Amino acid sequence: MDETRNVIISAKDVEVKFRVRDKYLTAIRGVSLDLYEGETFAIVGESGSGKSVFTKTFTGMLESNGTISKGSVMFHGKDLTKLKTDKDWEGIRGAKISTIFQDPMTSLNPIRTIGSQITEVIEKHQGISKAEAKKQAIEMMERVGIANAADRFDEYPFQYSGGMRQRIVIAIALACHPEILICDEPTTALDVTIQAQIITLIRDLQKELGFTTLYITHDLGVVANVANRVGVMYGGQIIEYGTVEEVFFDPRHPYTWALLSSLPQLGIKGEELFYITGTPPSLFNEIKGDAFAPRNEHALKVDFVQEPPFFKVSDTHYAKTWLLDPRAPKLEKPEVIQDLHEKIKKMTDKGGAFHVE
Amino acid sequence: MSNETAEREVILSVRHVSISFDTGHKKKFVAVKDANFDIYKGETFALVGESGSGKTTLGRAILRINPCSEGEIIFEGKRISGNISREEDRNVVRNIQMIFQDPAASLNERATIEYCVSEGLYNFHLYESEADRIAKVDKALQDVGLLPEHKSRYPHEFSGGQRQRVGIARAMIMNPKFIVADEPISALDVSIRAQVLNLMNKLKAEKNLTYLFIAHDLSVVRFIADRIAVIHLGEIVEIADSETLFQVPLHPYTISLLSSVPMPDPIVERTRKHIDYDPSKLDQSGAKRELREIRPGHFVFATDSEFEGYEEKLRSMEQEAK
Amino acid sequence: MEEKILENKSDLFEFASFDKNESEHIAAPQYSYWKSVWRTFIKNKFTVAIAILLLILILFTLIQPMISGYDPLIAPNVNDPEMRFLKPSAEHIFGTDNVGNEVFDVVWAGARNSIIISFVCTFITMVIGVTVGAIWGFSKKMDKWMIEVYNIVSNVPFLLLAMILSYVLGAGMGTLIFVMCVTEWVFVAFFIRTQVMIIRDREYNLASKCLGTSTWTMIKNNILPYLISVIMTYVARMIPSLISYEVFLSYMGLGLGVTKASLGRMISIYTSYMNGYPHLFWIPVTVLAVLSVSLYIVGQRLADAADPRTHM
Repeated sequence: MDETRNVIISAKDVEVKFRVRDKYLTAIRGVSLDLYEGETFAIVGESGSGKSVFTKTFTGMLESNGTISKGSVMFHGKDLTKLKTDKDWEGIRGAKISTIFQDPMTSLNPIRTIGSQITEVIEKHQGISKAEAKKQAIEMMERVGIANAADRFDEYPFQYSGGMRQRIVIAIALACHPEILICDEPTTALDVTIQAQIITLIRDLQKELGFTTLYITHDLGVVANVANRVGVMYGGQIIEYGTVEEVFFDPRHPYTWALLSSLPQLGIKGEELFYITGTPPSLFNEIKGDAFAPRNEHALKVDFVQEPPFFKVSDTHYAKTWLLDPRAPKLEKPEVIQDLHEKIKKMTDKGGAFHVE
Repeated sequence: MSNETAEREVILSVRHVSISFDTGHKKKFVAVKDANFDIYKGETFALVGESGSGKTTLGRAILRINPCSEGEIIFEGKRISGNISREEDRNVVRNIQMIFQDPAASLNERATIEYCVSEGLYNFHLYESEADRIAKVDKALQDVGLLPEHKSRYPHEFSGGQRQRVGIARAMIMNPKFIVADEPISALDVSIRAQVLNLMNKLKAEKNLTYLFIAHDLSVVRFIADRIAVIHLGEIVEIADSETLFQVPLHPYTISLLSSVPMPDPIVERTRKHIDYDPSKLDQSGAKRELREIRPGHFVFATDSEFEGYEEKLRSMEQEAK
Repeated sequence: MEEKILENKSDLFEFASFDKNESEHIAAPQYSYWKSVWRTFIKNKFTVAIAILLLILILFTLIQPMISGYDPLIAPNVNDPEMRFLKPSAEHIFGTDNVGNEVFDVVWAGARNSIIISFVCTFITMVIGVTVGAIWGFSKKMDKWMIEVYNIVSNVPFLLLAMILSYVLGAGMGTLIFVMCVTEWVFVAFFIRTQVMIIRDREYNLASKCLGTSTWTMIKNNILPYLISVIMTYVARMIPSLISYEVFLSYMGLGLGVTKASLGRMISIYTSYMNGYPHLFWIPVTVLAVLSVSLYIVGQRLADAADPRTHM
């Protein structure tokens, strides 16, 4: 990894609150994150961990009952948390920072042609002629892998398959050559065989166009495939982050251990899979100590008393758990995820269950 | 789970079943084409396919929700598809139960957990007294790791994983012999999927159950299934025992599915090939394709010429293994 | 500061005990549907005020005529011109009318009949309509011919039917109730049928089917509880509209006979005195309006409260 890379966007201690009926819910509890130019950062977490909410602060797309109550998001010297109106966001949302959502149908207008939806974005942000915009749109469609794009330009979303629709959503998101692409579970609604194609497509386009990608997903398999760096989110906080190798092969937070250990890919037939009991914390209540403690079989007494700080594992790897405190007892990660690479290599090498040729 | 095929008792047979739906136009939509397989007593048989493959349609045909347009389904030697007597229909309900994909959608939100779990008991009057019913409900809840105190609660008060376990308790209280589990974990959060899988395995062993486990990806199936059928666009393309299917997948669609299982290892993932399924590479001569047995218990959907190709591939793999 | 707290307690860095069952408990207080409906309903002060007003109004209309003993056939003051057309005063709260009757007595007696008729009609049409509609929504066979029945009945001109029936059966409360119910239930049934069809194929009903639950139990336990809110909305609209129906039919001379007090006939008679004594017209109209509007508001708010999405 190149140490001198530029930070393109920098979130500092972001806190987001939602007003639900008469109560306040703290969805994001102080998250900081620097994204480096050109990298792919993946945020993993369960539903309700706040992974989507957090990235929505990058594009000002929080639901109307949500507010950023603390912190800043700096992008090109501008604090994005200070932007209010759509006019303030002009030139950033959809232009410099684009988002791809889980269900392509929610991002496409079902009664307008595919072509017109792409050209609209190009015209709006680049201010060029209709003919030129159309030319660019077809080019973009070809780039995302739509065969005979010119013919399919005037078709409607329902004439496209799910995978094709997601390709169009990607084309729209990239039409203005954004600097940051946020992919919010881009493949969850798609079939497994299509998922791999879309992931490859995003990666190829990233190489070609050089944007920075922020992935949001619950699927650790996808993370391993796409990411340079990973942040694990739980209860509205990032609890561990590092390079993808560090987080997969040397995880330090018990929640990361648990997530990895419970993957069915690692299960041995006839034996029990590891599982996490209980449910994520309710963010309506004030969380004391480590949010994961009540579900953590390795919890220390201190986890219920005091929120742990980030402990440094390496220059790039940090984890928010008291287990890394020098006073804490030594604890090895669970057996299932020890020598993870060797185990998986065996599975995917010749003779292994997931070997293909 | 023994490997001696000859001795195994067939509990359910799907015999050349096709299922089609009226689309309102002249053309009928055929969701399942000529599905033909047996499920043995005590095994977990997985049906793996993507959306639109017909896997759910076929699963629901076993529960008599979807009618078969051709073929028949046999359960314990008796036909259960088509017109059967009311008594036989009740018998199917008692013995074949279902676990649904979405626990939020499949529980009655306006009923207490006690009612949800008791529903089957009420319908068949499977209790001697009120006290007996309560005791049975408590037992069923405890079997799935829930607490008797949950009886008076409503489904929306539970988490996704807990709700799915209520759904399992409701099916198990009937003491069924056969369970159709339609993607029971895909709507759940990753951290609780494992718990539901463990629970299903535990109950299967305790109650001597047979599962038809419907899934869309192979990673889960490898952990839970004894035998696997891969279904693509309504056609079963390959059936084999779990080990064989992962060791020597033959049909290109199976291989493509297998290659798209993401592995939680960045180093492996970076070099792992994804193989697209390209039907145009199959035999285009128009020859009839059918499910043929290439090795004992290993079936593949092929034309004559494709079958030869698979045979050759298999032989070379076997040679290499020696 | 933080560090200090922790330094003194090194035993904090020991493993805590862990009980897997602990995480299964639900901490939230017990949920009860009807309690939640009630709590949501009384949360809004305006609604509570209207509900109290409505309750007083209804009780009053039911009790006042018993005390006054008003009978439209007896006009005790008819031969006393002094008693006619008196303005409202402390002695005659709403004044007197053309035959010297207390308007106060006439209004409440009329309102009482209107309320009784609309409540009875609503009850009958709802029971029949919901029952038929629920079965209709489930049965594909029944749907084929019920749609025809619906098409025919819903196209019969209501006024024509009312006229024929009241001539054949003679005017009276029974006839009026029959006239209003004879077609209305079809609309209720059709409305319920559509609602049932929307939720009929939801997965939880499929689950019940897989457990061998009969259609009838399913209607009772799976379908109707989901329809409480929409049924209440329907009732909230129906009661006031039936009150105006009654008034309208009586106004047209098709409703209650001369033997029964009626807001409709009252308005019809008093309209002639609009120029000289407008209060005769405005008093029954105001009572009618207040009754209808408060019935509607309370009904709507109850319907809202019955929707579990408003709980929490």
